[in-house]
Amino acid sequence: MRRLLRIPPAYYVFAVLLLILWVARPNMLNLNVMGIFVRQIVPLGILVLGQLLVMRVRSIDLSGGGVILLINYTISSGVFPGASMIFLIVLALATGLAVGLFNGLMVGVRRASAVIVTLAVGIVLVGFVQYLSSGKPPGDVPGMFGDIYNTKLGPVPTPVIFWVVVSAALSLFLSRTVFGRYVTSVGENVQAAHFSGVPVARTVVLAHTLAGLLAGVSALVQTASIAVGSVRVGLDLPILAVAATILGGVVFGRGEGGVWGPFFGVLSFALLFVVMTTFGVDEPGKLIAQGLIILLAAIFYGVRSRSS
Amino acid sequence: MSDIRKAFAGTAALKGVSIALQSGSVHALMGENGAGKSTLMKILAGVHQPDGGAILRDGRQVAFHRPKDALQAGISTVFQELSLLPNLTIAENMFLGREPTTAFGGVDHRRMRREAGKALAELGLALDPGTLISRLSIAERQFVEIAHGIMTDASVFILDEPTAALNAADVEVLNRHIRRLKDEGKAVVYISHRMDEIFAICDTVTVLKDGELVGTRPVAEMTPAALIAMMVGRELTDLFPQRGDAPGPAMLSVEDFRVTERSRPFSLSLRRGEIVALAGLEGQGQQRFVRSLVGQYHPFAGRVTIKDRSLPLPVSPGGGVRRLQAMGVGFVPEDRKEDGLFLGLSVAHNIAAALHSKRSELALAASYHRRIADTMSSLAVKASGPGAAVGTLSGGNQQKVLLGRYLAADIDILLVEEPTRGVDIGAKSEIYRLLRDFARKGGAVLVLSRETVELIGLCDRICVVHNDTIVKEMPAADATEHNILDAALSANGTARTINDSH
Repeated sequence: MRRLLRIPPAYYVFAVLLLILWVARPNMLNLNVMGIFVRQIVPLGILVLGQLLVMRVRSIDLSGGGVILLINYTISSGVFPGASMIFLIVLALATGLAVGLFNGLMVGVRRASAVIVTLAVGIVLVGFVQYLSSGKPPGDVPGMFGDIYNTKLGPVPTPVIFWVVVSAALSLFLSRTVFGRYVTSVGENVQAAHFSGVPVARTVVLAHTLAGLLAGVSALVQTASIAVGSVRVGLDLPILAVAATILGGVVFGRGEGGVWGPFFGVLSFALLFVVMTTFGVDEPGKLIAQGLIILLAAIFYGVRSRSS
Repeated sequence: MSDIRKAFAGTAALKGVSIALQSGSVHALMGENGAGKSTLMKILAGVHQPDGGAILRDGRQVAFHRPKDALQAGISTVFQELSLLPNLTIAENMFLGREPTTAFGGVDHRRMRREAGKALAELGLALDPGTLISRLSIAERQFVEIAHGIMTDASVFILDEPTAALNAADVEVLNRHIRRLKDEGKAVVYISHRMDEIFAICDTVTVLKDGELVGTRPVAEMTPAALIAMMVGRELTDLFPQRGDAPGPAMLSVEDFRVTERSRPFSLSLRRGEIVALAGLEGQGQQRFVRSLVGQYHPFAGRVTIKDRSLPLPVSPGGGVRRLQAMGVGFVPEDRKEDGLFLGLSVAHNIAAALHSKRSELALAASYHRRIADTMSSLAVKASGPGAAVGTLSGGNQQKVLLGRYLAADIDILLVEEPTRGVDIGAKSEIYRLLRDFARKGGAVLVLSRETVELIGLCDRICVVHNDTIVKEMPAADATEHNILDAALSANGTARTINDSH
């Protein structure tokens, strides 16, 4: 029982959904169809990478929705007319980095509550975008973004490959560098980390900064996926990211888990949409199922913390 | 209480202690730190459950599963640790869990304030019962706690070091109330390290040592010297390695150090090849001094030199540990489970933690296979391998892993708190040998421990700390538990005048 509980629930959920699909609609299980569904979930997948990073140092980041919205607005509203794509990308990454750094300084150095700080930052960013747009939807996303988004490498869409590569890079980064050891130490026991000489505050700041950067990347992919800008895009992503991270075996406030558990957590969400769509479930039904999965993750977390 | 036994995590805290409390009598409970006094009283107060033995009340056996059971049986306790809730008022604290209600079922705040005010006034305290606990001084809090404890309608009163934070005038007020309780036919248990109080108000004294009963005597038959002899009376075993040879040059020196604004300055030097102890009664500032070196506390004044480099004070709270590690100083915290080890992580991660900490975040993490294996074998850590989770090891092996972390990281000055807490006797002896080897190879160790015998056996020099300053320094070869206790207790008089003067 212990052993089984140590495997992230995401793998079980993924396996069950795959089985359902294989029994009910085996013809759906081909790379072309799946590729399109998985591609939709890539922005969430990249946001989750940042989320798992901060959750492993016992923090949380709920500002991702605001970051995505702001970047999406900046690119699609044409505030920088005629700006090159490189400029927009650098601007997006810088925005994410700055927001992450701010979060990190507040949580790591000022020791403010991570939930409140990041939630507040998110709200401020959303409000800022609404102020700029006065409620009207912005214009079109430059076509270049969509063009890249729609490319494929063989049968697999480029965004999916990009997601896998970024995930692998983060996984490697955490397992190979001193920073990865710091993250593990801080997540296991903050006091012990402090007394063994780990720069605890700096580790938390860096984790948040990286999470902000990843939110910026996620925003770019999200923006590329839609041809027309919106003032509502990405707002439900942070809570989904938390859910996928918990589903992936990263326990909130415990500092456990790797990169691939949450990765499959996100894939489970993708499969869930496939299953729901094939069974003809509408948007409200999908929302309910999504909520139930988050609930399941929370319950599972309760079981875990008691059994160990 | 008859034949009470209690063990914590495999270490026996009480080994069959019996004690009888008489009504109309004040019973002193004495013994060194860790003798089992507080544990015995916590069992009587229902905080801990005994592993064996029985509590008899008027001849009938009773069992207290929680503090409330004991309270209902008429046993009221003032604990050593302050147990008031800072965000509530004095009145709310005094009635916590037994709030009076109005006819409508709400809390009767008016009655609470009135009765709390009365209780405070009886103790001569001019405090508003509506004041938040967080706004009181430590001494005032202690007094509120006492008021809370002794104003209860109970027949047995336990006072666990109630005077630790009080000055002489307050102690006199307290003594008056203890005598009143005695005249009313109550039984009082009084725990204190202050000799004069024992002889002033107690009728009987029971001495505990290492969880065993040494004896119970009428106070009238005792002298302070005889009492100290009862508390000490243990033979030094051959647990300890040989002491070091003549020490080398100073590696760590502390000059005119004042832990707080009120404490007297002291100096201390730690030389190469030497193990120096900070001894004394518990909580007299030993820990506060050591932890102000790693930045946890802000010392009032002083100069610290480490291997000819000066350490600017105050040390930063966040980076102090790193800074000292960079200077070759390792700090080993007392609570290995909370502050020391990553229990869920491998032995390898625990040992390598300080090694990684020396490097930059973006550097590739070295595996340190050799270093970890060498450390584990030289410390004789018993584990299934470097991958075993530290939490699965025995206490002694956990402690060795913790020490190993600092030994592996090329540290040459160790500041160690409680090197053998909760460790069995075999592992203790091994840890003493490790520390001595470390010193012999050119290191220097500063040790802080509640176990005086350990300090005498292990160290070269002993500094007795009292009231945040060093009151006496002696070679460990000449030190006895008796003269350490004596140095600490006789410093009480001077400490008292310092307390009174403000």
